Amino acid sequence: MKILHPAQLNNFIERLAKAWEVRLPVLLPDGTRVIGSPGDGPPALHGGAVMGKPTSAFFPHHGTLFTSDGGKLEGPQNPDLPLFVLGFTPRDLACLRFIDRFFADGLCDDVYFRRRNNALVAGLSGLCGAGGIMIPPAGGGCDLEFFCDGSCWLVIPYSDGGREVSAGLSDPALPTSVELFRQAALSQPDEQEELLRRASELLRADRVPDHFWAEIGDRCIACTGCNLACPTCTCFGVQDWRSAQKTERSRMWDSCQLDGFMREASGHNPLGSEALRSRRRIHHKLAADPEKWGEISCFLCGRCDAVCPTGIGMVAVAREMVARFG
Amino acid sequence: MKRTLTVCPYCGTGCMFYLVSDGGKLVGVEPSVTHPVSRGGLCVKGWNAFAFVHHPERLTTPLVRRDGVLQPASWDEALDLVVTGLQAVQEKHGSDAVMFASSAKATNEENYLLMKLARAVFGTNNIDHCARLCHSSTVTGLAETFGSGAMTNSISCIDETDVILVIGSNTTEQHPLIGSRILNAVQNGTGLIVADNRRIRLARHAALHLRHKNGSDVALLNGIMHVIIAEGLVDEEFVATRTENYAAQAAAVAEWTPEKAAAATGLEAGEIVAAARLFAGAKRAMILYSMGITQHSHGVDNVRCVAALAMLTGNVGRPGTGVNPLRGQNNVQGGCDMGALPDLYSGYQKVADPLVRDRFARAWGVPSLPAAPGLPLTRAMNAASEGRLQALFVMGENPMLSDPDQGHARKVLEGLELLVVQDIFLTETAALADIVLPAACYAEKEGTFTNTERRVQRARKAVESPGTARADWEIICDIALRAGYRGMCYHDPREVMDEIASLTPLYGGIAYDRLDPHGLQWPCPDRNHPGTPLLHLEHFTRGLGHFSPARYRLPAELPDDRYPFVLTTGRTYFHWHTGSMTRRSHLLDREEPRSFIEIHPDDAARLGVRDHDRLQVASRRGELQTEARVTTMVVPGVLFMPFHFAEGAANALTNNALDPESSIPEFKVCAVRVERVP
Repeated sequence: MKILHPAQLNNFIERLAKAWEVRLPVLLPDGTRVIGSPGDGPPALHGGAVMGKPTSAFFPHHGTLFTSDGGKLEGPQNPDLPLFVLGFTPRDLACLRFIDRFFADGLCDDVYFRRRNNALVAGLSGLCGAGGIMIPPAGGGCDLEFFCDGSCWLVIPYSDGGREVSAGLSDPALPTSVELFRQAALSQPDEQEELLRRASELLRADRVPDHFWAEIGDRCIACTGCNLACPTCTCFGVQDWRSAQKTERSRMWDSCQLDGFMREASGHNPLGSEALRSRRRIHHKLAADPEKWGEISCFLCGRCDAVCPTGIGMVAVAREMVARFG
Repeated sequence: MKRTLTVCPYCGTGCMFYLVSDGGKLVGVEPSVTHPVSRGGLCVKGWNAFAFVHHPERLTTPLVRRDGVLQPASWDEALDLVVTGLQAVQEKHGSDAVMFASSAKATNEENYLLMKLARAVFGTNNIDHCARLCHSSTVTGLAETFGSGAMTNSISCIDETDVILVIGSNTTEQHPLIGSRILNAVQNGTGLIVADNRRIRLARHAALHLRHKNGSDVALLNGIMHVIIAEGLVDEEFVATRTENYAAQAAAVAEWTPEKAAAATGLEAGEIVAAARLFAGAKRAMILYSMGITQHSHGVDNVRCVAALAMLTGNVGRPGTGVNPLRGQNNVQGGCDMGALPDLYSGYQKVADPLVRDRFARAWGVPSLPAAPGLPLTRAMNAASEGRLQALFVMGENPMLSDPDQGHARKVLEGLELLVVQDIFLTETAALADIVLPAACYAEKEGTFTNTERRVQRARKAVESPGTARADWEIICDIALRAGYRGMCYHDPREVMDEIASLTPLYGGIAYDRLDPHGLQWPCPDRNHPGTPLLHLEHFTRGLGHFSPARYRLPAELPDDRYPFVLTTGRTYFHWHTGSMTRRSHLLDREEPRSFIEIHPDDAARLGVRDHDRLQVASRRGELQTEARVTTMVVPGVLFMPFHFAEGAANALTNNALDPESSIPEFKVCAVRVERVP
């Protein structure tokens, strides 16, 4: 474990930026926090999970898959420098673990791993949550973790890469461990996790009637924000742009809340109503993924609830479901 | 990786977001978490607002028609041809033989500059923009009744009201972040009345859904006001102290009993009574409206009735109340504010006023300015067909798809001596032009946009424009210089805004250094003024609110034996106007890839029509083929069609019947016949 005083943060980032393409939580001019480049704004490590999903560093909103120029195919450029991404809360790290496995499953997604391989992922925890609340440490699942003890950042490496980049930092004056915080958090029941577990049981027992989904669907304006903000949503659409000589194929985040997402060539859509699509969004995370992957694929990062203009994000829907049918 | 805070290019809600760019290319959008309107959310168009910017069909070089074909040209050649062409037409036919169509997609600065170019450099008041097609009825109607033709309240007032009347606005689709706020308010107990005969999403949440006949709004609103007066629900104190001409209003609605209004609107009398009681019984009630009110041959009368209903119940000048016209384009409010109108300079200062003219002439360094108001856009086509207009300069509009009666519009545009189009894509209108000037899009330039709640916000450049495309303001200034005028040389749009502020009392305190992060709401008369979230607080802009009673008139064209259906037109959630941007945005176009027409299942069954069948639709002006969408969104006898699609263009059918005062066309009602294509 190493220690980083807040006053040393900028120097630390500057040093890192010589060998890494650094991304970290920054404060933008209007007060929005995002995981951005150091030049985007001052570092803003406090405040909890940022709005944009941190996994976008590896799976961006829009990205080229390949170009065909006069018959010559070219894949996307590898990053000039490997990525160093700081800002994953423990819940975000669970999301990253989930999509790493998804993109590696079967045909490995080469475009994703061009950015993901060799990247260093840094977690963020401690007394740096929204309003200064404690984010329990992850204790792993990343290359290194920045834990706020209230005055300094304790930097805990978990991999060789993590040890390498933190090697220049000083050691704490006294032997320190954050494991107690992790254990304390684990021993506390998590109300939201319990809520999702109960909602998942209701869905898997088919105890949520169609009219519930019709009500939720009536409130969905199909903005797609829930999917676009979700770190475990991995669906994408593909487009080809053709000019005289060149074709560029790219992909962009897609959404199961859109009619076109499942529309068949015949025009028929097996998910042709907002009710069915709303059900699918929740069902996929709480019922289908547990079957496929053995775990609920919502890790309660809170982004869909924050971004939804009409209040039908995952936690809101689960809460309503459990209150009415649990 | 770079993030640039800017304003969404689509509707008038004015959401702000960050454009994310990498290596000079846009790669995504992130919402502004702190923005007072969007509050960390966006609609589907906002989330996809980056998607068309680098499309391979962007215009990258000027085009000049040679031997009947548009061919690449240098900027020098193209701009010299523009100037000499316009001057030649004016020498031959007079100053008013040229017209400038400005754009609600362009910035305030660009609208101001095109207005200045028309008036100071080319000496004509023939300048207008697409507000003519959407809210000119509001500008006229609210100016007369309140003294200001803009949204009286702020969007946040939706959180504070007890009852909302939404009339003629499909808010969750056309202003989604306003519509979602209404949905949230309803979830929290606010009463909702929806008056619209389409079963829009808001209707599913409404306490009352009034499916009145198309074009019967005056009858409906007069009926509601009749009940309010008859049942003693009038806010007597407000009417007595804040308004004038109430007696005339009361007399005019006296005959509009619920039964009479029911007969005219097709509603039950009880529905009208219930709406009146719900609206007038609320402590705070607000009205939101849009094209369903304005786009009629009696659009101004509709607006007068809306204003009267608010005054009658004392619902003006307080939080959670007001008359709130939702402006369509992201800068249609600004286009009007900047005087891209044939009778007004910036800040709604009249060209007919010699003192105002003199002030602008002195500021602009010209000996005089034209006094007679110019042509409204919707009258330009007829003026051209009569030979009074010979040249048209179009900046960022696409009248071939957006104007009524497309066949007539095409004939007129093709017959012009000179058609210049400045745009980002080769639109259907640009394809007819003699000269095409490639413009930068919203993501490639600096400027300001003014949203529907009068909020002036900064738009910022995130990436370079393609090829040699230039910002509209740069092109306009270059034309002015080539025409020999030296009063339009600016380093940047910031300087233009300083000039606007110096000549426009409403914008007197607007300056770039005051607009971060989320703008200021006008009126903002000086640099210390904090902006104005609510209009008409102590008194109306015109002093007393003026009741202007309206007599019920039928739409200009009603169904008959030959054309038995009412056609009403509008937009869909996924596309924007003539589709030049959204039809080049993959996910948006995938959602609505084709022209369609909504038809009620009863009508479909009678005509032997199934979902997705090809239909032939004809009106007295034109015909087209499109795809059937069999749905209870529409009532029997009424068809709805969006106007986004060049193939199956709704405006081949629509009627250029104009409101006599606002010159807005009656897009919402015309008569058609429909049959299945064998």
